[in-house]
Amino acid sequence: MTQARGSVLARCALLACACLVSACATVSAPPRTAPSPASRPAPTAEDTQPAPAPIPLPPPAASTSRTEPPPPRSTDVPPARPQSDASGASGALLEQSRAQRAAGSLPAARASLERALRIDPNNAVLWLELGELELQTGNTAQAATLARKAMTLAGRDTRLSARAERLLSAAE
Amino acid sequence: MARSSRSKTRKPSRIRGLVLRLTAVGFILAVAYGGYLAWQATSEFEGRRWDIPAQVYAAPLELFTGRALSAEDLVGELKRLGYREDPRLVGPGTYRVGLGRLEIATRGFSFGGDTEPEQLVAITFVGGRIAALRDSSGSRAAIVRLNPLLIGSLFPSHGEDRLIVAPADIPPLLTDTLKAVEDRRFDSHFGVDPIAVVRALFVNVTSGEIREGASTLTQQLVRSYFLSNERTWGRKLREAFMAVALELRYDKADLLHAYVNEIYLGQDGARAIHGFGLASQFYFGKPLSELELNELALLVAEVRGPTYYDPRRHADRALERRNFVLQRMADEGLATNDAVQAAAEQKLGLVDDSRRGAMHSAFLGLVRRQLSADYARDDLERTGLVVMSTLDPAVQTAAERALSKGIEGLGKNAAELEGAVVVTSPHTGEVKALVGGRNANYEGFNRALDARRPIGSLIKPAVYLTALESGRYSLASVIDDAPIVVQLDNKNTWTPSNFDDKAHGLVPLVRALAESYNMATVRLGLDIGLEPIADTLQRLGLKQKPTLYPSMLLGALALTPIEVAQMYNTLANGGFRVPLRAVRSVITEEGELKQRYQIEIEQAANPGAVYALNHALIQVMERGTGRTVRRTLPDEIVVAGKTGTTDDLRDSWFAGFTDSNLIVAWLGADDNRPIGLTGSSGAAKIWAGVLTAIEANSYSAPAPEGVDETWIDYLTGAPTAARCPDAVAVPVPETDYYPHVFGCNGETGVGARIRSWFGGNER
Repeated sequence: MTQARGSVLARCALLACACLVSACATVSAPPRTAPSPASRPAPTAEDTQPAPAPIPLPPPAASTSRTEPPPPRSTDVPPARPQSDASGASGALLEQSRAQRAAGSLPAARASLERALRIDPNNAVLWLELGELELQTGNTAQAATLARKAMTLAGRDTRLSARAERLLSAAE
Repeated sequence: MARSSRSKTRKPSRIRGLVLRLTAVGFILAVAYGGYLAWQATSEFEGRRWDIPAQVYAAPLELFTGRALSAEDLVGELKRLGYREDPRLVGPGTYRVGLGRLEIATRGFSFGGDTEPEQLVAITFVGGRIAALRDSSGSRAAIVRLNPLLIGSLFPSHGEDRLIVAPADIPPLLTDTLKAVEDRRFDSHFGVDPIAVVRALFVNVTSGEIREGASTLTQQLVRSYFLSNERTWGRKLREAFMAVALELRYDKADLLHAYVNEIYLGQDGARAIHGFGLASQFYFGKPLSELELNELALLVAEVRGPTYYDPRRHADRALERRNFVLQRMADEGLATNDAVQAAAEQKLGLVDDSRRGAMHSAFLGLVRRQLSADYARDDLERTGLVVMSTLDPAVQTAAERALSKGIEGLGKNAAELEGAVVVTSPHTGEVKALVGGRNANYEGFNRALDARRPIGSLIKPAVYLTALESGRYSLASVIDDAPIVVQLDNKNTWTPSNFDDKAHGLVPLVRALAESYNMATVRLGLDIGLEPIADTLQRLGLKQKPTLYPSMLLGALALTPIEVAQMYNTLANGGFRVPLRAVRSVITEEGELKQRYQIEIEQAANPGAVYALNHALIQVMERGTGRTVRRTLPDEIVVAGKTGTTDDLRDSWFAGFTDSNLIVAWLGADDNRPIGLTGSSGAAKIWAGVLTAIEANSYSAPAPEGVDETWIDYLTGAPTAARCPDAVAVPVPETDYYPHVFGCNGETGVGARIRSWFGGNER
C-alpha cells in the first residue's frame, strides 16, 4: 500500500516535472538571419512639415508613429547587422572625413572618422576608411589590423569583405 | 698734553665718522633690501603669468538623430554646463523647454583646430531618443556638439588652480565693480592710498565693525603672491613698498589683469580656486562673460574672504555681502537701481556640486598617469596645456551613484565596504568613467588604479580562450568536473574544490565556464598548460608576466580594476587590443594642437575563438553565475559577463559588456578582511546598477569566417535539436564535425534536467 502510494507520488512528480520542462523549452534562439533591432529610428515624415518660427519642428505627436516595437530577444545568436554605408550622424562625419582627406588634411580626416566610430563602432565601413587612411600615411601594420577588424564586423556582407581583403593585401 | 687735546678733538669726529659710516651702510642695506623686495615682487609678477595647471575637459556631448537621450537627461547635461533656461533664448548658453522638444543656443568652441560654431538647434524627443535635430534655418542638422565640460586641472601639490582670462575677455563691469568696492582711487594712486587708510580707520571705528579695508588692489595682489597672513606693521610696510615697486614698473591695466587671474576666491578640497575665470566655473559653471549681475556681484563679494563668505557653507553671509556689492554698483552708477533691485532678489544661483573638481579626482588621476608618460610634471602643472579627455560626465555620475547607492543597498558590513568602477568604450578603448571609491568626493586612495587584488574567476575566460584557440577544444567539448589533486612539488599538493563543494561530472565547456566550475577549469588549464595561458593574459593586455603556479588557474593573480578593464576590453572588442586611454588630445596654451592620442588596435587573439568565448560569457548571464543579476536587466538586451570571487569572500568582482560599454566593478575592504560577498551577490549588482543607468543596448557581433554553430544540451554537451529543453546554440569551428540531431537526446537530456532539480546531479 505504502509502496503503491509512493510510486503514484513519484509518477505525479515526474509528470509535473515534464510539464515544467516543456514550459521551459519555449525559450529558444531566433535563427541567424533574424532582422537586426533597429538602432536608430528613421524619421522621414517631418521633412515636409511647415516651419514655425523661430526654429521649425513638427509637434512631437506627429512622430510617435515612428517608434518601433522592441526588438526580439536574441541571446544565442547576435543578429547580423545590415552593412551598408554609414547613415545619419556617422554618415555625415564620414562625408566630412572624406572631404578633409580629399583636401589633404589627413589628421582632421582621421579625427572626424574617430568621431564617427565613437557613435557607430560596429560599422565596418568606418574601420575600413580608417585603415585606408593609415595606408595613405604609410602605416601599413595598422592598416592591415584595421582591415582584419573590419572583416570581423563585415559578417556575411561580401562586398565589404572584398573591400577589406583588398585593403589587407595592399597593406601586406 | 697735545696728545690728549688731540685725542679730545678727535673723539667726536670719530663718533661722527662712525655714525656717518653706519648711516651709509644702513642706507646701502635699505636700498639693497628695497631692491630685493622690488625684485621679489616683479619676478613673482612675471613668473605668475605662466604658472597655469593643465586644464582638463570632458568629451563634448554629441547630439544626433537616433541617440538614446531623454529631454530630462539633456537638460541635466545643460545645467552641468551652466546653461540657463531663458524663454527668449538670448545669447549662447541658454535653452528653452517645450512639449517634447528643447531649443538650445549652443556656445560653440574651438580647441586646437577642432571647431564647433555656436548655433541655435531644436531637438524633438520620442521614447527617450532624439527624434529630430534642426538648425535655425529649419533644415536638418546631422550632428551638433555642446561645448565640453571643464572637469578640473592637474594642479600642483600646493593646490593653486586657475583658469586664465585674457584681458579682452574680462567684462569691464567686473573691473569697475572691483574698483568701486575694493579700491576707489585705483586709477590715480601710486600703489598705496593714504586717503583710503584714513577713511577706513574712520568708518571702521564709527561703525564698530570692519566694513572697509584700506588695501589697494595692488597691495592685495602682493599679499596674494606671498601668501602671508601675519598682520604686522612690518608686513604691511613690505607690502606697501612692493605695491609701489610694481606700480612703478607696470601699468594699471597689467596689474588689473594680474589681479583678476590671481586673487584667491574659493576652496575645493585640496584645490585652491584662484582668479575670476576659474571662480566663475567653480560657482556658476559658466564662463565669466556669461555672468549675470547678481553672479558677478557674488564673485566680487568673495574677494573679501572666500572662507567667511563661502556661499555653499554660509549662504546668508554671502548673500548679504553680495547685496552690499550690488548696492555699491548702484551708488557708483555701474548699474541702474532697477537692475540692482532685481539682482538683489535673485538667489545665489550656484551650480550643482557635481561641477566641483574633487568629483573627478579619480579620473584626473588616470589623465595624469597617461600624460606623465609623455610630459614632465612641470609641463603639466605650469604651462597652461589644455587636455581633451574621454570622460563622459553622465556615465561618470551614473557610475558614482551606482557604487555608493549599491553599497548602501548591500547592507551588511557596508561601513567597511569599499569599491571601484571602470567604464570603457570597448571598440575605441576610451575610458568613460572611473570611480576610485564609494565617496567620489574624497580625494584619497584611488582603488580603480591602485587597489591590486586577486581576481578569482575573472581569470577563467583567459583559460577557456587558450583552450578554444588551441583547436583542441570547442564550447561543445566535454570536460570532467571531478575532484582533482594537483602535485605542486615533492611535498605539497593542491586540491581545488567548487564553490558549492560538489562535482558536476562531464560537462560541456560552455557550462563549465558559465557556472564557473573550478575542478573542470583546473583540469582544462593543466591540459593546455600554464605557459600558453600566461601568454594569453599578456596578449589580452596584462603588462607583467604572471607567475606560473597552478593556483593561477583560479585567479590567484592580483590585478587592479583598470588592468582587469584592459583585459576584458580586448574580449569585448572581439580580440583586438586597444590601449585604454583617458586623453584624446593635448593643446598648447596658444591653442595649437600639440599631440593626439589616436585609436590604435592590435590583433591579440583569434576572432573565431573570441566570438565563441563571448558566447559562453552570454551564457554566464543567461544560465550561469550571472543569472540572478541578469533578471534585473531588461529582457530584450544581450549582455556578456563574468563573476569573480576570492578566498574567504574577500573580493567581489564583476566584469561585463555590451556593444558600447565595458564595465568592471570591484568590492572589497581596504584592510582586506572578508566582506561576505560573492561576485554575484556584490559587484554584479553594482555593475547592473551602472548598466541600467547608462544604456539599454545589446552585445552583438556577426559570426566571423570559419565559424559554424551547433545545438547541444547545456547540461551534458550531447548533440540535441533546437526545440529541446536546455538546448543551447554554440559557435564551433566549421571544420569540426557535429552530427545533426532531430530528437531531444532521448531520456538523457530530460533525465539529467530532472535529476538536477532534486540535487542529484553530483556523482
